[in-house]
Amino acid sequence: MADKSKVGMTFPPTLFRVERVKIKELVEAIGDPNPIYVDAEAAAREGHPDTPCPPTFFTLAFQEFTGHYFRVLEELGMPLERVLQGEEEYEYLRDVYPGEKLTLTTTVESITEKKTRSGLMDLVDVRTTLADESGEAVLRAGSLIIERKDDA
Amino acid sequence: MGQYLDFQQLKAGDPLPSVTKEPITKVQLVRYAGASGDFNPLHTDDATARQAGLKGVIAQGLLVMGFVGQAITTWAPKRFLKRFKVRLMGMTFPGDVITVHATVVEKHSGPEGLRVVCDTTAKDQEGSTKLSGQFEVLVPE
Repeated sequence: MADKSKVGMTFPPTLFRVERVKIKELVEAIGDPNPIYVDAEAAAREGHPDTPCPPTFFTLAFQEFTGHYFRVLEELGMPLERVLQGEEEYEYLRDVYPGEKLTLTTTVESITEKKTRSGLMDLVDVRTTLADESGEAVLRAGSLIIERKDDA
Repeated sequence: MGQYLDFQQLKAGDPLPSVTKEPITKVQLVRYAGASGDFNPLHTDDATARQAGLKGVIAQGLLVMGFVGQAITTWAPKRFLKRFKVRLMGMTFPGDVITVHATVVEKHSGPEGLRVVCDTTAKDQEGSTKLSGQFEVLVPE
């Protein structure tokens, strides 16, 4: 079960670089034909200095390919096979472009136990900020992670 | 930018044109797994999914969020998108055809421009809701 003593804790930051190829992989998986993500000229026509990240790019960045999310779950004592994603939220403070180096910092906002029709669950609210090299926040994210518990 | 919606003309209660995706494929789930680095076999291996009591592999919930992100950026330029929130509600399977719907709920003008809040849902071919959410675009003056 999620370790309630971790509420308020901030995890060690993860540094990652926005890679053009990861943007391409994501839009190809989604099947999003919008050219602005892969074609700098199309992006320029919408006022971008380079190809921007698609709206859900940060899902990958902080949750998955950097390993950040898995480290957070491990630290919280939440076994992967019992974890579901409940909610996901992004506040976009500015667009982010390939080559930028971003730092992810995650804090545990709350852990709430809830009885549902499908059993007992822990709802873990984590907040992540992505900051650029000058330390300025570029995106704020919130994730509600659900752990199904054995003693349900 | 003629292909985008004119948010000045829309009012609360107006639906946005829905966006229907091609049927979800197993290859797409593998692609998403590769893109994200999340190799949970529930999304890629039918045998594992069946052992977990499912009829087969299920789509990543956040792939469906990606579909909604795609739809939003057909309605408004990417740089207008300021907030995007979803609640994942149901399992999605290969073969499902997802349609993204949205409705204007709120509009207000401020010093930065026109803020428009929309509710959104993603439903399958049977009308079952997979995700519901909300997003906000800021149309500069």
